[in-house]
Amino acid sequence: MPSRATNLSGYAAGILLPAAFLLLLEVLIGNGAINRALVPPPSAIWDELVYIISSGSLWQPMGQTLRLLATAYVAASLLAIGVGILMGRSRAIYNLFEPLLEVIRPLPKPALLPPLILFLGIGDPMKLVIVGLAVFFPVLINTIQGVTGVDPVLVNVARTFGQNPRQIALKVILPAALPFIFTGLRISLGLGLILVVVAEMLAGTGGIGYLIVDMQRTFQVTSMYAWLFILATLGFLLNFAFEQVEKRLLFWSRR
Amino acid sequence: MTIGCALTLSGVSKTFSQGGNSVRAIDNIDLDVTPGEFLSVVGPSGCGKSTFLQIAAGLQSASGGSVTLDGNAVSGPPDGMVYLFQQYDRSLMPWRTVLRNVAFGLKDGGSRAERHAACMEYLNMVGLKDFADQYPWQLSGGMQQRVAIARALAAEPRILLLDEPFSSVDALTRSDLHQLVLRLWEERRFTAIMVTHDVDEAILLSDRIAVLSHRPSRIRESIPTDLPRPRDRITTPELPRFLELRHYLLETLTKRPEHA
Repeated sequence: MPSRATNLSGYAAGILLPAAFLLLLEVLIGNGAINRALVPPPSAIWDELVYIISSGSLWQPMGQTLRLLATAYVAASLLAIGVGILMGRSRAIYNLFEPLLEVIRPLPKPALLPPLILFLGIGDPMKLVIVGLAVFFPVLINTIQGVTGVDPVLVNVARTFGQNPRQIALKVILPAALPFIFTGLRISLGLGLILVVVAEMLAGTGGIGYLIVDMQRTFQVTSMYAWLFILATLGFLLNFAFEQVEKRLLFWSRR
Repeated sequence: MTIGCALTLSGVSKTFSQGGNSVRAIDNIDLDVTPGEFLSVVGPSGCGKSTFLQIAAGLQSASGGSVTLDGNAVSGPPDGMVYLFQQYDRSLMPWRTVLRNVAFGLKDGGSRAERHAACMEYLNMVGLKDFADQYPWQLSGGMQQRVAIARALAAEPRILLLDEPFSSVDALTRSDLHQLVLRLWEERRFTAIMVTHDVDEAILLSDRIAVLSHRPSRIRESIPTDLPRPRDRITTPELPRFLELRHYLLETLTKRPEHA
């Protein structure tokens, strides 16, 4: 592990490189070496960003994208954890679901967009389903793995203290499998964000993904880059928040 | 007076099948443990001691025979029975503090304050009240086993099963734990069954020692220790009767099996 001091100077060096890159871009665009119509100068993108935020036009699209992601993510994750615990604890349930899941799991989820649009249209239900599907599998697989790996000694301890199967699932299996579950949740957060944006781009009526394509189609290139930057920031913040939650809940795990 | 209950095994046998072969681990064990008795079960390694104890606890089912606790058939872990596992480091929950691990043993009911006070009392009994807010993985092995003991006591067991509980701690810690268990048992008089391969430990703690044979194991002998109580980890092993038992048991256990 690098010490804190080297970490900080490391950050400084890490900021230097993009700053130099942006400066170079600004200069090259300014003297016409790069076509302004394709890449606007960083300063113009910054102005656009400030405008988007100050005019209040940030909130509606961001809210729409986030609401979609959060709803699908939470619902699919909870379902996957529940099913995963059942599958991990019961051989019969595992055997029942496993073949079906093995068929759907390896399929790249965006490929399901055309049939889903056929069945559900281009509204929110379709987007919730596609994002939910993408989120579901990594959480499920990791939950099953975590649950089957729970130390039988711990389960026997709970049994000898008179805990019923439901109590054992909640007090022992779930917390013991949590490090694995979080591995799945982390993968799914990334996938979920990808699928929200893809769905909005393909069948959008709003949201950040829709805006990015829409700006490109209408030649509002500066705005397109500004929204791309907003999306990147959003992804970064979501990941940061996730790490904070993980740190708080899994401090005891030495994995 | 005793809060202990009576455990009876009659004709208990266990057969494992492994890939078509069946291995008889336990053959026809009859055993009566009286209320408040401290019984040790010793035997050569691999003789099925742990299997025997898990069957007594209702954690495994027997292939034949029956287990009864105060006359009621045991088909799963019964009320009033607590099992102390050998693997203390795997039997505590790393996400719970020491106090909350002990609370896991408490029966339901009581206010938050009452439960907290009860846990602190049990932690005090095992000398760990200053460690209530630590996590198990911050403690030494001996301390972790103390937490497991406090958790077991919190359940107010009428019968305690001990599966080689002191075999993975160092000698001095083991001696401390012996003293602790002696004191707690002499105060509370629950029924106790301890499986061990440590002859000295068996003699020091028990009223009676059952000697298991090699596989398929059956009870070869049942020897009352006849040592006065309260016992002490230093003076009790100096008694002539202790040495006599030790001599006899070591001789018996190190004898080559009849058919090997």
